[in-house]
Amino acid sequence: MKVYDGSQTEQSSTPERIKVGIAEYDVSTNGATLSTSGLGSCIGVGLHDEESSVSGLVHVMLPVSEEVNGGNPAKFADTGVKTLVRELEDHGADRSNIVAKIAGGSDMLDFSKNGSGIGVRNANVVEETLSALDIPIVGEDIGGDHGRSIRLEGDTGDLIVKSANRDSKRL
Amino acid sequence: MPEVLIADDSEFMRNLLREILEEDHQIVGEVENGVEAVEAYKDKDPDLVMMDIVMPIRDGIEATDEIKTESPDANVIMCTSVGQEEKMKEAVKAGADGYITKPFQKPSVMEAIEDVVPS
Amino acid sequence: MNVDIQSLGTFNELAHEGAKEATASMTQMTGIDADVDVTQITLMDRGDVGETLAEQAFVGVEFDFEGELSGQTALVLDQDSSETLAGTLMPGDEISAEMAKSGVKEIGNIMMSGFIDGWADYLETTIDHSPPTYIEGTGKEILPTSGDDSPADQVFVFKSEIEWVDESVDFYIYMLPDQDSLTDLMADHADAEADAIPVDKLHVFNRMTQQGTKQAAENVSMMTGIDVEAEVSQINFTRIEDIPKQVGTDRYVGTAVEFTDLPSGFLLVLFDEASAKNAAEALMPTAVEGDELTDQHTAAIEELGNIMTSGFVDGWANVLQTSIDHTPPRLVHDMGRAIIDPLAAQVGQHQDHAFVIDSRMRTDDVEFESEIYALPNDEELREALEELAVERAEETDADPEEIFQE
Repeated sequence: MKVYDGSQTEQSSTPERIKVGIAEYDVSTNGATLSTSGLGSCIGVGLHDEESSVSGLVHVMLPVSEEVNGGNPAKFADTGVKTLVRELEDHGADRSNIVAKIAGGSDMLDFSKNGSGIGVRNANVVEETLSALDIPIVGEDIGGDHGRSIRLEGDTGDLIVKSANRDSKRL
Repeated sequence: MPEVLIADDSEFMRNLLREILEEDHQIVGEVENGVEAVEAYKDKDPDLVMMDIVMPIRDGIEATDEIKTESPDANVIMCTSVGQEEKMKEAVKAGADGYITKPFQKPSVMEAIEDVVPS
Repeated sequence: MNVDIQSLGTFNELAHEGAKEATASMTQMTGIDADVDVTQITLMDRGDVGETLAEQAFVGVEFDFEGELSGQTALVLDQDSSETLAGTLMPGDEISAEMAKSGVKEIGNIMMSGFIDGWADYLETTIDHSPPTYIEGTGKEILPTSGDDSPADQVFVFKSEIEWVDESVDFYIYMLPDQDSLTDLMADHADAEADAIPVDKLHVFNRMTQQGTKQAAENVSMMTGIDVEAEVSQINFTRIEDIPKQVGTDRYVGTAVEFTDLPSGFLLVLFDEASAKNAAEALMPTAVEGDELTDQHTAAIEELGNIMTSGFVDGWANVLQTSIDHTPPRLVHDMGRAIIDPLAAQVGQHQDHAFVIDSRMRTDDVEFESEIYALPNDEELREALEELAVERAEETDADPEEIFQE
């Protein structure tokens, strides 16, 4: 996990881009853009605190962590969201100001028998976890049968969602 | 001209078989799954069925079994990408009269048909 | 000699942690912010090791190590990037070739020590290593395995990819353990309860997969008239979350099926858009106008993917004397990584790591390449391999005429 903290390196005049991989999370504190790609059934959760200018992005893959000993918390919707929130707070965010924007959770190549595919379950757990943390979801692009790539602009808090065969969306 | 029913979930395959067969055969139906295959057989009583195996809802082996049980004189040739020995044995058990593996060229199709429905 | 899935997982994690240690050391020395992207263990032909390295000049360091685990380790990066790397140690104007070389040696040495230390700690032992040797070469020739006498021997190789994001520089760490040393180690550290897979059966399985790739390529050639050759076939073992990273984010067309027997799992056939178009057009009787992929193209690809899937797995079924059923193929057309993602996730419901059978085929005649990814359920794969009679390894073909004798 790579944390971009503006205090460690030189500030560049234009915000940089931080890539977040699958089952990873990262935070930006100086308006840098966070991005992640290839969201199929995975969900990208973008968090933004306008007041403190802290943003974060996590790319979760599976709904809930079982009795995983020392597993990767960012892989799961429940622990991934909680870990990201804590990370934002460690960087000066105030939970009561944080808002969430989420994208992903498609049912492309969902072979499950009863329609309870991973995409749907990921979305449910993300929503439940955010709700339990009192963090409102102010933008979402969930479901469908297509893949997505997203960018969370650290300065504006906008989440841009790109898909093949579709116009991009700004949440 | 002998009448043929084509059962395959792949549009590409149905087109290909139609092109290969239509010169010497009359295509009386094109269906996409095993359920439709059984219904179309009952409806049209074709001389020959070209039956894919892997299809949604009901596969070709089951459809063949049902057709042959009902009409032992039916001629069914499996036309499939599956080249597994166990699958061929299942086809024999279901009563299939022949088995062609994809990819195929026209001559092997015609040969297989000739073995089952001599002209 | 056996491998067990648990140990493979532990060792993969170790290699991953080692790569992270190495990267942290590099960051301390140079200020470079880099990330370990992927770590995987691959069973492959010795002569193929390093095949993902581009045909360009690479430099790096290598050393031998010895102890409870013995073998060789190499850290490599392309030559141009090495000058950028050396520049971080010696900020200034020109970096001479000598300076670049010494910079790489210094950084490489520290990184590799960090990498090996983790293993030693885990094994609660010491692992000695030789002083680093500077190495150079084009593509995979740089690695110690090149020029080995037995290129067709199958070996387990550990590989980590490290990315220095800002400069788009990729580092590769290859760990090439002596095979006996590795399997002995796994045997010592295996959970007594865990069932193991005899290594020779895995080798056979890999060969069958190579045969399956050849058959799939032959099927493509027969259908399209394009002379396609099987290129690579290997068995990777990696963390679930690393699987999607093996596919790019460009758009791909392809088919996916789910296997329902033993072993259950998924198989994905992918073509980049240009390859899909070329293959589809070779299948269609009349040319199609325009640059876009039409429904006609994708219908052809659906059938091509179907035939490739069968070509790939029928051999396993025939050797195992069982039937391996799968769902009808589902057509996909989207970002590659988003396509494989839900398959990796579905497998990931039961496992932290997975075997990924990765095969490629291509032709020089036209722009055409295709990749096949098979993701079997790991426990079921182990069970299926238990059933595998090694003497039947060549019995991949089935002749309908034999069975349909009238």
